[in-house]
Amino acid sequence: MSVGQVAFTAPSGDAALLRRMSTIRLEGLGRRFGAAVAVDDVWLDVADGEFLVLLGPSGCGKSTLLRMIAGLLEPSAGRILLDGADITALPPQHRNLAMVFQSYALYPHLSVSRNIGFPLRARRRSKPEITAKVGEVAALLGLTDLLDRKPRQLSGGQRQRVALGRALVRDPGAFLMDEPLSNLDAALRATTRAELVELHRRLNATVVYVTHDQVEAMTMASRIVLLNEGRVEQAGPPGEVYDAPATVFAARFLGSPAMNLVDAAVTRDGRAHGPGIDLPLGLPDEAAFPERPVTLGVRPERLSIVPEDGAGLRGVVTAVENLGGEEVAHCLVGSSQVAVRGPRPLGARPGDRIGLTAAPAHLHLFDPVSGRRLTWQPAATTAPKE
Amino acid sequence: MIGTFVEAVPSLPPRRAEAAARPRAVVRLARAAPPYLYLAPGLVLLVVWTYWPLAQTFFLSFHSWNLVPSTPMTQVGTDNYERLLTTSALGSSTVRTFQVIAGLLPFTLLIPLGVGLLTRGRGTVHRGLVFAPMLVAPVAGATVWMFLLDPDAGLVNTVLGTDVNWLNGTGTALWAIVLITGWHLAGFAVLVVAAGLAGIDPEYTAAARVDGATSSQITRWITLPLLSPTLWFLVLMTVLLGAQWTFPLIDTLTQGGPAGSSTTVYYLLWEYGFRSNDAGLAAAAGVLFFAGFMLVAVPLARLADRAAVREEGP
Repeated sequence: MSVGQVAFTAPSGDAALLRRMSTIRLEGLGRRFGAAVAVDDVWLDVADGEFLVLLGPSGCGKSTLLRMIAGLLEPSAGRILLDGADITALPPQHRNLAMVFQSYALYPHLSVSRNIGFPLRARRRSKPEITAKVGEVAALLGLTDLLDRKPRQLSGGQRQRVALGRALVRDPGAFLMDEPLSNLDAALRATTRAELVELHRRLNATVVYVTHDQVEAMTMASRIVLLNEGRVEQAGPPGEVYDAPATVFAARFLGSPAMNLVDAAVTRDGRAHGPGIDLPLGLPDEAAFPERPVTLGVRPERLSIVPEDGAGLRGVVTAVENLGGEEVAHCLVGSSQVAVRGPRPLGARPGDRIGLTAAPAHLHLFDPVSGRRLTWQPAATTAPKE
Repeated sequence: MIGTFVEAVPSLPPRRAEAAARPRAVVRLARAAPPYLYLAPGLVLLVVWTYWPLAQTFFLSFHSWNLVPSTPMTQVGTDNYERLLTTSALGSSTVRTFQVIAGLLPFTLLIPLGVGLLTRGRGTVHRGLVFAPMLVAPVAGATVWMFLLDPDAGLVNTVLGTDVNWLNGTGTALWAIVLITGWHLAGFAVLVVAAGLAGIDPEYTAAARVDGATSSQITRWITLPLLSPTLWFLVLMTVLLGAQWTFPLIDTLTQGGPAGSSTTVYYLLWEYGFRSNDAGLAAAAGVLFFAGFMLVAVPLARLADRAAVREEGP
């Protein structure tokens, strides 16, 4: 998976002629609905060819953000730039962006071919050109046999393809997708996910993709932008967001089961202490570390079961879930729930006393008040990572 | 000793065939009855108030009767129909009925469509104002319009600077009736159009905008086709009921005059029955109009059905 690069380039005229560059830039974008703030001061650069996923729980403002990019919603603050040109006030008709809606929004009275050809018809292209282009897109998406059907005669997966076809037919500057897979069943979602990734690879198009599904985000994104209450919580490649969550929110949102977060304290000897917790943090040798309370995070799959004596975490198994290939053991450590995930059989039964440990590299420290990630700066004291 | 492979899971028993014995007739009847029992009250009302009077009308149309209960009916065969078809009143009142329908269509279709599209997604206050005439009782409205259209002191003539005798001129009476009926109905039709527009998922418009369609393209290619079931409903209502709505106004303002110039088929029917007390003739006219409207309504309803577009499922 390629890593998205931040693009600050204004496209030169030549480049725009040779190949459609499409960078999207959001400058302090905000949107209020009455007193409620849906999107708050979002700064973002979407590089050409990037598959950017806006991820977040429902109500985090991700769809509002996408609709502002599409021009369907007017921002209350900030600017939107497409290829360096300010399009904030431009109506959606003139933005040359294609959008796939969650509901697909297929025109129910038009056949599949007329649905796909609609953007070309609106641009007054000639009939033969529309027919040729629609045929091309239909072949690409395997819709050739369905061109005369009406949307209501299609299955969910077929409708999704038609919606995609309508976006593909006119070589837009960028694709905006609003949870396009959420109405598909699980099996179809997995295959469509792979197809979308493949399509993106072939077209090398810029995609802004909205989802609340962490699996979609992890598997498809070249960069994830995690939103929380209208603000960017963290932006980065999926691996980075998963391995180094910037905040407690990011740590909780990605991963299944979510990252274990327990209250602990860093002591003078550079270890994390708490009820049932005594873990080395692998910090460089220092005479004494400043003591402070922390939220200690560790992913369930990074924990391993060890003999209880001298284990970093000691607790009692409360439940074991069988996932088929793997098992998840839920344990009570001190007063905190801690989940362990590993290959089946895990060798733990409810009621067992259990010892757990994790490599220092897989431990995450967060400030218990701000929720922000803490890193060790050798020269000075620990400071929240910005 | 050499073992053998056995199926680890016992094979399923064969599917059971049809249930052996059919339940007894009484049991089957008791099971089938509830839906019909639920329908019964509605069906009884329909029969008592619609189908039975229809049958009675049909029966009456072959008799001569003066509506006096003590006078016996006499059977006259098809006399009533022959009398009807040989008078010129039937033809001219039919033509006038079509004129009324055509005159009402702008009020029940074109104006509401225009108002609906222009006020789409805006406040409801002015829609309420447009709807208000519907709430005015026809006879009360008629009285007010009688003052307004008065040839000497009426506001209409004062404003227009004319001295037309609107309700008593053979050329203007019918159109005055159409105008007042249209004023009554337009608000209702605006509400119907507004409801139809509100029923169209705004995502279609949003998608069309992103797809690059202009406002007029969206209206022509998306909104109007999706609104067509509503528009067909209004056309059907106007064609089938429009002329009926004029009745109270005709009765209050012109009594079908002057010289029958505002007599529609409904008013003609009423005159035969309750002015001339010729129940048989009125019944025959009723049967003919019923048949005539069926001939118009069936193809219209078919067209409306074909135009109806079912919304796309989730």
